[in-house]
Amino acid sequence: MEEIDFKVAPESKIKKRPSYIKPWLGLKYLFKKPVTIKIPYEKTQIAKNYRGFHSLDWKKCIGCNFCGQICPARAIEMTWIEVDGKVEKRPHPKIDYGRCTFCEFCVDVCPTGALGFVENFMLTTEWKDEELELFDWVPIHPDKLREINEKFPDYRFPVGKIEFNKETKEVTYYLRDGDVFKFKILGYGVRPPAAAKPKPAAPKAEEAKKVKKPEEKKGQKSEENSS
Amino acid sequence: MLMTAVRAFLILLYAVFVGFMFMGIIRIVTARIHRRVGPPIYQPILDTIKLLSKKSNITHGLIYDFGIIYALGATILALMFIPIGGVSILRAYGDLILITFLLEIPMLGIMFAAMSSGNPWAGLGAQRALLTLLAIQVPLGFAIVALAEFYGTFSTYEIVMAQQTMGWSITHMPLLLVAIAYDLVLQAMFGKEPFDIMIAPGEISLGPMVEFGGKHMGILQIQHAIALFAETLFFANIFLGGAVVTAFTSPILNTIASLAILLVKQIAVLMIAIFVGAIFPRFTIDQAARFYWKWPTILAAAGAILAAL
Repeated sequence: MEEIDFKVAPESKIKKRPSYIKPWLGLKYLFKKPVTIKIPYEKTQIAKNYRGFHSLDWKKCIGCNFCGQICPARAIEMTWIEVDGKVEKRPHPKIDYGRCTFCEFCVDVCPTGALGFVENFMLTTEWKDEELELFDWVPIHPDKLREINEKFPDYRFPVGKIEFNKETKEVTYYLRDGDVFKFKILGYGVRPPAAAKPKPAAPKAEEAKKVKKPEEKKGQKSEENSS
Repeated sequence: MLMTAVRAFLILLYAVFVGFMFMGIIRIVTARIHRRVGPPIYQPILDTIKLLSKKSNITHGLIYDFGIIYALGATILALMFIPIGGVSILRAYGDLILITFLLEIPMLGIMFAAMSSGNPWAGLGAQRALLTLLAIQVPLGFAIVALAEFYGTFSTYEIVMAQQTMGWSITHMPLLLVAIAYDLVLQAMFGKEPFDIMIAPGEISLGPMVEFGGKHMGILQIQHAIALFAETLFFANIFLGGAVVTAFTSPILNTIASLAILLVKQIAVLMIAIFVGAIFPRFTIDQAARFYWKWPTILAAAGAILAAL
């Protein structure tokens, strides 16, 4: 066994003598400019690729639910969507920002690169239920997000208000630049709901089904929950 | 009679306003030392208005309410005895001992209220405050003795007048020592940092103030504002030469000029307190008592002996 020398700094070099004079050096900042960002008047510079809200290219998303499986907070739920009377072939992830930890694992795992994220991070609402709808959304197209960000460079949530009609299951996004984006949620989960199975061949049949939809959806949801 | 009442009211109004400005200055200067921007200067006024407009007020009995009023009353009474330039009302009776003790009585009033709340933190804070009060008596007593010995009078107004001819107190060697000791004492009277053991935010969660809320706290804020004004004023009067301006022919101009000069001196006193408060950490109660019975006492006693020679 060879001896090992540990280098230990001697106490005399570390210990400082107390002083009544030296603390006065603390006054040297008195006339210097304060290092403060005056937030409402000045802007902060956010890092590039700051992990913020998600974006989703609806054309690329294949509904594989990888994001839902990797999400550590289980904030992602697949959703079956109908846009302009046309049912999307694959479910899309719906992200609940009440639970999301913004780890962006879902973005890393997405095989087609449909899920992405932007630097926006500000989402503040009051306690009202209709405002809390904002926290639960199917992300919109990244190009649209970028467009809104150029208009309002304040890193806020790109949607001003989300309306969810419980009877018709219709979701309306009132984007911040004034656009309105509407779609219908047909059901949740990986398996397609009954309403989404028949392809929208005849619009009349589609409309007839709408009346029955609420019961069907409820039935299916409870099935999913119990399973 | 009526004129006196009006004048008293005006003095009170001025003291409250300037006191709140002082509180704002304390917050701004402390922020600048920390390289922050700090709140606007009128922030303590907004705080007090908010406190006074609270809907729920908790009270723990008669003494709890009375202690606050007692503290406020004692501070106002002390203010009335201190000459503010040429406009004070009771200055003929304002002798050093009276004012010194009236400036300490508010602490007792707060103690009454705090102790009757039954909160252990408040009791702890009250004990510490009383020990601090006890510790500052010794240098304070020597300071008064030295002043009275030097000028041959106890009257504050006569001391101010004497300084008009003889120069400020701090230009004389014995009184300079006393002034330094008094300034250290002032730190405890303001409740500023090295000796803010009785309030000790973070350590015993505001000490005596822990149970106060709403209107009680609002009145305490007003009391603190007046106390800041009165204590700086007293120091400026006895050590920095006060201000009795007779340069102008108009009495109103004279009054304004003397108030302005006093204000500058008060702010100078306040600044030292802020600087010391911002750069020194808090003493424990035994360290504070030992400190007060050592350095300020030695300084003040030396001053008293030198003044008597």
